[in-house]
Amino acid sequence: MAGDAGSIPDLDQEKYDADEQVKIICLGDSAVGKSKLMERFLMDEYRPQQLSTYALTLYKHTATVGNKTVVVDFWDTAGQERFQSMHPSYYHKAHGCIMVFDVQRKITYKNLANWYKELREYRPEIPCCVVANKIDADLKVTQKSFNFGKKQGLPFYFVSAADGTNVVKMFRDMIKRAVDYKQNPSDFMDEVMQELENFELEKKEDSSEAAKDGLTESPELV
Amino acid sequence: MSFEAKRCGVQFNPPSIILIYEEKDSRKVRKRIIPVRNFSKYSDCGMAAERLKSHSRHKEYLDGVSQSQLERLHIILRDHMRGHSLEHSLASFHLNPDEDLNKLDDDELARKKGQMDKLFERNRRRKDDPDFIYEVEVDFTKAGQEKCSWDEESDDGF
Repeated sequence: MAGDAGSIPDLDQEKYDADEQVKIICLGDSAVGKSKLMERFLMDEYRPQQLSTYALTLYKHTATVGNKTVVVDFWDTAGQERFQSMHPSYYHKAHGCIMVFDVQRKITYKNLANWYKELREYRPEIPCCVVANKIDADLKVTQKSFNFGKKQGLPFYFVSAADGTNVVKMFRDMIKRAVDYKQNPSDFMDEVMQELENFELEKKEDSSEAAKDGLTESPELV
Repeated sequence: MSFEAKRCGVQFNPPSIILIYEEKDSRKVRKRIIPVRNFSKYSDCGMAAERLKSHSRHKEYLDGVSQSQLERLHIILRDHMRGHSLEHSLASFHLNPDEDLNKLDDDELARKKGQMDKLFERNRRRKDDPDFIYEVEVDFTKAGQEKCSWDEESDDGF
């Protein structure tokens, strides 16, 4: 099952199971400013890794949440329709999702419904937020209430990648929620996977115990 | 030595990217002509821009020039090689806010992003601006919450 969804051979997605690794995806239509938001948050911290074939840019970031150091991989995705087949691998093992639209283009707001529907098919419970970008173009837009986030119970942010308004706050909130989610996953599938993994581990331990017992000639270790 | 890019443009013959920049130490404004090599009317403008941006001899100078701007300049050069006029190229950058940009290919999308980048660059606060603040927080929740007309048609789950 997992093999199917994580079909990017250049990338090891197993690592996202480790405690100190978090994966956050950034979704939304073409040209809403996803990369610009990433760049504004990370400044020159890292050179992103471009995987053009997969329409994907990866940004690595080290964050401190509470007193723990967490490595965050941001998956900056392409909105273009021809990359639709890549979407399952974007969602695979993600712990958080940032959904972005452009306040100057209604179509990108309307499309949030499609992005969100697809996200929930793959990741029913991961924390998600709605981000209204480019408010620097016309600040009047911030007097309006956009209902999509509210209806879905998602946090909403007015941001500007150009002047930086609320960008850092939005990312920090999301990292924290992604880490919280990882510690207490509520996705049913996650729990099932976790159970299965524990079961596997127990079985392995049992069998190694048995093997040890079988070796009569081996000396007892004190 | 650090440089501040001021303006960037193209020259058709021979195909080159022209950069006007300031040398920070001497405060002198200079012009740099960067010949565009191995580039034809069949080339990929995105890749050409990426190559130039990371070119060992030019990258320091091009630090303040976005890759998307370089891509656009390559598009103009390639349009010219294909026999299109400059007016044609510039018109193709025009943005229609109702157009679904998800349907465009990389080249067409780069043209549209060019238009948006103008506003972005105009409103941009840069790291080396004297009044730059990394963490800018503004609370908009108290602003008058007028209903957004984009929510009016509620047939699609909004």
